[in-house]
This record gives sequence, C-alpha cells and structure tokens, in this order.
Amino acid sequence: MERKVTLACGDGGELAHKLIQQVFVSAFQNQDASRFDSAFLSLESGKIAVTTDSFVVNPLFFPGGNIGKIAVAGTVNDLSVAGSIPLYLTAGFIIEEGFPLEDLRKIVRSLAEEASAAGVRIVAGDTKVVEKGGADGLYINTTGIGVQRAEHAIRPGEMQEGDDVIISGTVGDHGIAILAARGELGLMTDLQSDCTPLNHMIDKVLESGAHVRMMRDPTRGGVATTLVEIAEDFGAAIEISETALPIRNEVMGACDILGFDPLYLANEGKVILIVARNDRQRVLDVLRAFPEGRNAAVIGHITGMGEGRLLLETPLGSRRRLRRLSGMMLPRIC
Amino acid sequence: MHEAVKILVRGRVQGVGFRPFVFRLAQETGLKGTVQNNMDGVRIVWEGSPETIRSAMKRLVSERPRLSRIDEVTYERAETAGLTDFTILESDRDGKSSLVIPVDSAVCGDCLHEMRDPGNFRYRYPFINCTQCGPRYSIIDALPYDRPYTSMKDFPMCGKCGEEYRDPHNRRHHAQPIACDACGPHVSLIEMDGTVLGQRDEAVRLAVRSLESGMIMAIKGIGGYHLACDAANRASVEKLRQRKNRPERPLAIMAASVDAAKRIAVMSDREESLLRSPEAPIVLLEKSAAYARTLPEALAPGIRTIGVMLPYTPLHHLLFDDGKFSYLVMTSANPSGLPILYEDAPARAYLDGIADRILTHNRPILHAIDDSVVRMSERAPFFLRRSRGYVPDPLPARTNVDGVVALGGQMKNTFALGRRRQIFIGPHLGDLSAVESVEHYEKTLSHLMKWMGIEVKTVAVDMHPFYSTRSVAEKMNKPVVPVQHHHAHLASCMEENKLEGPVFGVILDGTGYGEDGNIWGFEVLYGDASGYRRLAHLRYTPLPGGDRAVLEPWRNAAGMLIGLLGERGRRLAGRLFPDKESSIAVISRMVSMKLNSPLAGTCGRLFDAVSAILGICTESTYDGEAAIRLSEHLGPGNVNAPPYPFVVTEKSGLKELDFKPMIEQITDERLKGVPPEPLIRRFHETIISACCSLVESIAEENPGFGHRVVLSGGSMNNPFLSLRLSESLEARGFSVYTHHLLPSGDGGLCLGQLMIAAAKSGV
Ligand SMILES: [Fe+3]
Ligand SMILES: [Mg+2]
Ligand SMILES: [Zn+2]
Ligand SMILES: [Zn+2]
Repeated sequence: MERKVTLACGDGGELAHKLIQQVFVSAFQNQDASRFDSAFLSLESGKIAVTTDSFVVNPLFFPGGNIGKIAVAGTVNDLSVAGSIPLYLTAGFIIEEGFPLEDLRKIVRSLAEEASAAGVRIVAGDTKVVEKGGADGLYINTTGIGVQRAEHAIRPGEMQEGDDVIISGTVGDHGIAILAARGELGLMTDLQSDCTPLNHMIDKVLESGAHVRMMRDPTRGGVATTLVEIAEDFGAAIEISETALPIRNEVMGACDILGFDPLYLANEGKVILIVARNDRQRVLDVLRAFPEGRNAAVIGHITGMGEGRLLLETPLGSRRRLRRLSGMMLPRIC
Repeated sequence: MHEAVKILVRGRVQGVGFRPFVFRLAQETGLKGTVQNNMDGVRIVWEGSPETIRSAMKRLVSERPRLSRIDEVTYERAETAGLTDFTILESDRDGKSSLVIPVDSAVCGDCLHEMRDPGNFRYRYPFINCTQCGPRYSIIDALPYDRPYTSMKDFPMCGKCGEEYRDPHNRRHHAQPIACDACGPHVSLIEMDGTVLGQRDEAVRLAVRSLESGMIMAIKGIGGYHLACDAANRASVEKLRQRKNRPERPLAIMAASVDAAKRIAVMSDREESLLRSPEAPIVLLEKSAAYARTLPEALAPGIRTIGVMLPYTPLHHLLFDDGKFSYLVMTSANPSGLPILYEDAPARAYLDGIADRILTHNRPILHAIDDSVVRMSERAPFFLRRSRGYVPDPLPARTNVDGVVALGGQMKNTFALGRRRQIFIGPHLGDLSAVESVEHYEKTLSHLMKWMGIEVKTVAVDMHPFYSTRSVAEKMNKPVVPVQHHHAHLASCMEENKLEGPVFGVILDGTGYGEDGNIWGFEVLYGDASGYRRLAHLRYTPLPGGDRAVLEPWRNAAGMLIGLLGERGRRLAGRLFPDKESSIAVISRMVSMKLNSPLAGTCGRLFDAVSAILGICTESTYDGEAAIRLSEHLGPGNVNAPPYPFVVTEKSGLKELDFKPMIEQITDERLKGVPPEPLIRRFHETIISACCSLVESIAEENPGFGHRVVLSGGSMNNPFLSLRLSESLEARGFSVYTHHLLPSGDGGLCLGQLMIAAAKSGV
C-alpha cells in the first residue's frame, strides 16, 4: 500500500476500498454497520439527541491528543452536557492528497479508542480525498446520537439566585497547548491539552441526584463566552471570581507574555455546571473522584435573575463586565 | 447730565449673590435702574451721571461677589427713562431650565474669622458657612436649591440661625446650609470597629492628636472621603502607600497656609491666587529647593512637582489650627479603579485595614465629587481634572445644543449635557472599566439630566466598540452618533476657543480608536465639528499584548523596535531589557504572526516606549507614569537642542511620519551609556519640529486652509511640549489655541463629542 493518501483513494474504487478496509474498518471493528449504505440503530423510546461538529485543528497532533481524539470528545461532550446519554457516532474525513498514511492511521486509531473508552459506537463513516491545497491536511466531521435521560435530567428552568457555578478543572489548557504545539511562538511549555470525553463523569454527577440546572462545555470562546451565553439565554446575573479560577502556572505564564485572558481560551475537556448551592459539595466530590475532574472548583454564583450579564470580581475587589470573545483585542487605556 | 446704559454680564453670575451686589452698588452710588437675571447672564440698566456709571462699572468687576466669575461685560447706550429708584426684577425665564446649580466653595475669610473668634457662637464649629461659601452641588437633592431639598433637611434651624437666614441684610440671608453647633451637623471620631472615640470638638482635638502620632485617618469632606496622614512623617506616608497599594503614584498634600506651601514649593502670584480661590483646587507646583528638608521624597517620587491645596472646609482649618503639623497627605479614598467613596457604610467597609480611625460627620454627601487638579502654565490655567468647585458650572455654547448628551471616554471620564445654549460638564468620573464605576456614572448622569430637565435627543459616544459608554448609550434608546476620538479632541478645543470654520488640529494623545481599525493618537487633522480630514499621522507599530503593552512600557518599546527594525530591533530590545529576553523572543513572533498585536501610532505610546528604552519606567504603576517621569527629566529653561532626524512619506494625501531614525539613535545612545537628559530634550524637540513641519507643509500645499491650529490630546498635559509647540508654530506664523477651561486629555473629550453630535444631527 502507498505511504501517502492519493487522490485515487477517494474515487470509490479499489484503492478506496483498501484504504477503508485497512485504516478504518480495522480500527472500528464494526463490520455489521459497514455492510449497508445506512446504519440501523436501536434506541430506547424517548427523545433522541443529535449533534454535529466539524473539527479543524492546527496542528493535528499536539501534547495530550490529536484531531481524532477531539472529534470524539467534542461531540460526546456536546451530547453529554445537554443532558443526554451519547450512544453512536458517525465520522466523515476530508483528507488532503499526499497526507501521510501513518498519520491517518494514528488519528483514526485514536478516534476509535476514545470512542470505545467513552462507550459510544461508530456506526457510519465517509472519506473524501481532495487535491493538494484543497484542504489543510485533514478535517473530521462527527455526528453524535444519544438519548435524552429519563431520570436525573438537567432543569434549566430552576436556575435561581444563589446557584453555584462550578468548573470541572483548570482553565485554558487546550488553548495554550495548541498555541505552543504550533511552535511558531517559541513558547516553552510541556502543557497538555485537556481534550477528553467527559460523559462518564457527567453521568456520575447527574446520577448523584444533585440538582444540576445547566451544563456547557467551554470550548471555543472559553469560559467567559460560554458563561455570557448562559447568562443571556436564561436572564441570569452571574458573578465569577478571578481568584477562584483554577489556572495552571504554565497557562498563566503564557497569558502574561501574550496578553491573553485565560477566560477566553478554548478548553476541550471541561464542563461548567450550574448547580443548587446545597448540592455544591456533592458535585465537587463526584467530579474530584475523576482524574479529569481533580481540579474542580466553585468559580462563582448566580447573583440574581432578570438582566443576563457576567461579572468578574478582580483581586482588587472591583467588578468588570465580561463580553463574548471578539475578533479584536483593542486597548482601551488612553 | 444724565445718561443710561444697558449692561450684560456673563459668567458665573447667578446663584452667587450678584443681584444684591449690584443693588448695593446702585444704592452706594445713587444710580437708578434695574437688575435682572436672564438666560445670557445678568442684565443691568443704570441711569446717572457718566462718571458715576463709569466708576460703578469698574467696581462691578473689582468688587464682584467672591463666588462669581465674570467672563464678559458688554454694554450699550440706552435712552434715559427718568427712573427714580433701583429695583431687582424677577428673572425673565421660566420653569426648570432657568435653574442654576451652584458649585461647592471653600470656606470664606469672614466665616473663618468667626470660627476662630472665641466670642462667636460658631467658635470652632466645623460646618460654618454663608452665602459666599460652603457646600452646594454635593448636598443638593433636588432643585430649586432650597434647604428642604438638601442634605440639611434633617437639621431644623435654631432661633439664632433662623434670624440670620431671614434677615436680608445679613450675609447669611438665605444661606441654605446655615448651621451652628446647637442645630447643625457635627463630627465624630470613630475606630474602625465603630467605637466612638469622641464627638464634636473633642473629636477634632483627638483627630489632631491621632494624625500627630502618625496614624492614617479617613476624613469625610465635601465630595467624599480622603485618606490623610502627616505628610512630613515618612513612616506614615509609606504606611499609607503600602495599605492603599499605591507604590509610586504622587500623593497630593494640603498645606496649612500659603506660607507653608511657599516653604516647599515655588509659587507665582497667579498660582497663589488659584490656590486661594473659592474653587480651591489641587495646584501642581514645582518643588522648592527647601522641599527635601521638610517633606519626604515618598510623596511624589521622581517628580519635580507636588500637588498642593489649601484647607477648604472649616474642619480642615481646625485640624491645622493647633499647629501640630503643616502638611497633610490628602488623597481621595477610593478602592483601585473605583469611584471616590462618599457614602458612610461602603466607606467604612473599604477603609477597614487601610485607615486607623475615621473622622466623620452626619451631614450626608449626596453627590460625590473629587478634588480638581490644575496647573498654571505660562499662559493660562491648565486643567488636569475639572471637578469640585467648577462642576456643574455651565459653559456657554454658541449654538443651540439642547438635548445633546455626550458620554465621554473610557478613562478620566466626564460627560456633557446640552441645554439650549449651555453645556454642563459632569464631574470627573475616572476609569469606567469597573461595573461599580459604570453604575456610579449612570447614577450621576441621570441625576444631572433630571436636575437640568434635559430630554435626550441625541447621544454622542466614542467610536471605540468596547468603551463602557456604549452600553449606556444603547439603554437610552435615542439616535447614537459615534465620534472619532481625536476628532472629538479637535472639536473640544475649537469650542473652548470659540473658533468657527475648519482649523488644523495637532492631536497628541494616548490611544484612541481610529476609523481604519487601528489605534490613533498622533494626528494632524483639519476640520471642525461638522467633519474632518486626517492629513498626517505617526507610522504604526505593533502593541504586542494590547492593553498589556500600555501597562508595561518595555513591551511597547520592544514592539516598536521590532516593528521598525525587524530582527535587529528584537536584538536591541533584548539588550535593553535583558531580563525579558525570552519574552521578547515570543513577542517578536507575535508581531510577525499579527497575534494580539494591534497597530498603533500614538504620541502617548511613543513617550512610553522612549521612557522604557531609557530605563526610566519599564512598568507602569499608575496612569501615564512612563510619560510623566520621562518629561520630569527636563529642567526649567529653554536649552537649545537639535531634533533627531525623521522621515515623512505621503500616500494619497495622507502623510506618514516615521521616527525610525530617532528610535534607532536613542537606543544606540542609551546602550552607549549617554546620560538621558539631553536625549530627552532632543526627543521633545523632534516631536515639536515634526509637528511644525507637517502643519507647515500641509498649509503650503493647501493655501486655503488658513493658519489656525488647535492643540489637544493627553500629551498636551506635558507643559514643556505644549508650550514649545505653541511657540514654534507661532514663530511660523500660525495662531495657536489650547485648552484652558477643560482638560486637554480625555476629561475634555465630551465637549467635542457634544459639538460634533450637535453639528451632525442638526439640532
Ligand atoms: Fe484621548
Ligand atoms: Mg462542539
Ligand atoms: Zn462664608
Ligand atoms: Zn443654629
């Protein structure tokens, strides 16, 4: 077999068949589904949850993961934070001509491993090869299917003053790990991306019986953008405290140099939970029992319902209003 | 032989006892006629002999009431009507719009005299006041200005005070805050846990002893709380700095008297009269040779000037009257980045851990107002902060600006409200980054709008997409006019100087959002309120890290060197800031990747960069520190220094000024160990010479442009720069106009915004 993906691999002929057999089928071990044009899935009765996401990551490999792992984590986490149980995934690949086959194998293997660790089955897939320059290496699209929980559902309608805002771990690891992995900035750090599926941990939180109002995974746009969205969607005044944020020293150091705010950096293995104050400790205990929830912390609370806004309490005691991530970072100091 | 004149007096002539004064003048001279308040000012008709009228007109100016300010006296001959007496006519205005909100004023000499007279029933009473002095703006709840609508409403007058209040011949006739120890507010000295240590005069005496023993005291004043300590006690000053987490920022002092101030500072007659004025601002004075023997360097480290004010409340005077100390640190008590504290409960909560004791009183402060800060330039007073004593005195407008509201900038914020032909500038509200500050801003804004009865028609805001005023504007639900920052600076200076038609604007500033999405701040503009053209600017260099580069001038310097000189610039930056070398490597890549590195061409950042290159200030601990400390190296006198070379290029009518040769040379000289003073002088001269040559060449290319130039922007706070630039432009045949009523920096921005919005919306 060729050591690089060629255009012919995507034409539906013999080479394409070989690629699928050798790279995908062997990794997914899901023979029954691959014999038909569609996969047939059995679901319990109730509501189905569907989500889809396309993954474009530069670089494709980074400390703590690769695009394959993110493609699972991102979609599984989207289902999970919405209060459903993720069951199935589909995966579509767009591959640039000349992409090293060995890298493709690694990515696909990692995608398969993460899926099986998360307990979701990959039930359909697709591969397209585009001309050199038509894509930047490799893109993946995943669609996730799950079922809505019958018990222990999240109840956004019960969000109220006094609820706590909890994050499952340190902020900004993925954003800085990716930036460092690109190498262009010369940032010296061995920081790992936090990229990981969180569904098992989230299941345990919900099954603990804690009153969880709302969950979101703070990916692109970071914790700040995610919380602004929650605040505006539910008309909640949220206040978080800068000193309560769990942040790794490496992330802080990089932010110092770059002038970045860690609250706007992407995370790929974190969940923000809004929980009833009485359940705060229960939720923290569950989270901290998982390695990916070891650094879970209460970072703020809801100060009132009505006008949706996010405030940050600074170490000096004043409060700053936070907005969504914007394309520009313009100085305001005159 | 009788004649008649009609006189119009403009300025601050209403609500300050001007009509009774004119009445008294008429009675003393025997002139007949009338006096009346109207929208423009005070109108007087006098009939009598020409000599009597002439001398009365002189006395009108020389003997004017203490709180009045005369901007202009115009008069015309009139027909004699054979009047037989002199009368005060009712104001010919109606409703709310005619009401004036008086300003807070320092205690007057007459009241002070009484307070020190053991025979007087207000002996040592810390709230003594009269119609010519005392609190006003800060204690008024609603208009008209009448005791029941002030924070004096809970203090019913005693018989003695009531008699004075009602007697038309008494100097306390209708003095709304009139009070005495029997009926008025009183002071208490409290521990931080609330324990009362003393009340009334005992509190004052104990407070003096506390200060004498080196304690940090919080003192409730006119517009808010101050933190105070004995300024001559170095340990106390350092303790105050440490507790307030304010390592370098200059602290203002209050001197017991003009004589005490003269011992530590050099003072001209004009500076002295500014200090003694009823507005009683903080005046920036040059430290004297004797300064170092009296006061510690820690008050204003590395700076040639010291901010000095005189006692302005009776309580301040009582603190000094025992002679235990001659100078007190008096710095406004506000948590970092937040407005001045003026309400008792939040003040107490914040001050715990900062102050040792609080000298407070039970007359509520209804409206916070900070001390004003002024410097006397060789030509005119120069406002760094226009607040207590000046706010809310309106400025006259030449056109109708009714209903136009301008929200000001992000830092050093003030707002402006248009009512008919008057413009009210709000108090200094400072940095609007904190939510608490924005809330305070909204409260102050809506109060003043209510007082003035202003119905908003148009709202002017800065073009910057992230200024806090943006969301305030949205809530008003009226047409919003976004105004370019430096256009506003230009229009502000034009309006102050009553200039018509387009003029040149040399705007040297910190950072402002430009129409091309970059950061502007070194601009030659041509225009007026209705529009402008940008004719020249400083070459852009990257600001790696955005706001962070403003707080860390070394970073800004590195960005500038890398932007101008590429790889060589990176190496130079590494040599200048050896402990930052690894960061500089990252910064240089940020610049080439255009990552979080907005482009800026601003004078403020240029000053910061040079300050960092010369090792004077690499990290800023207060707003403007790097630039201020750089210019502080300039001694007095005009030593001739040749400018560094600079380059001007032009693309489609826009000139670009390139200081690359200068930055290169300064860096080179610094690395060779050349002493900084001559470099700094040459640096200033280069900016001046570049501005002059830009304006001159544009004027030559455009003969129709005329020869008037306004100077504005935060860098004009640099006295050397603005004076030398004015002189140099004048020497080239230009008429130069600067600010003298409002700050050059963003404290004056709102006026320009208002004029531009008025011009654009056609009010
Ligand atoms: Fe400005
Ligand atoms: Mg997603
Ligand atoms: Zn008085
Ligand atoms: Zn009384």
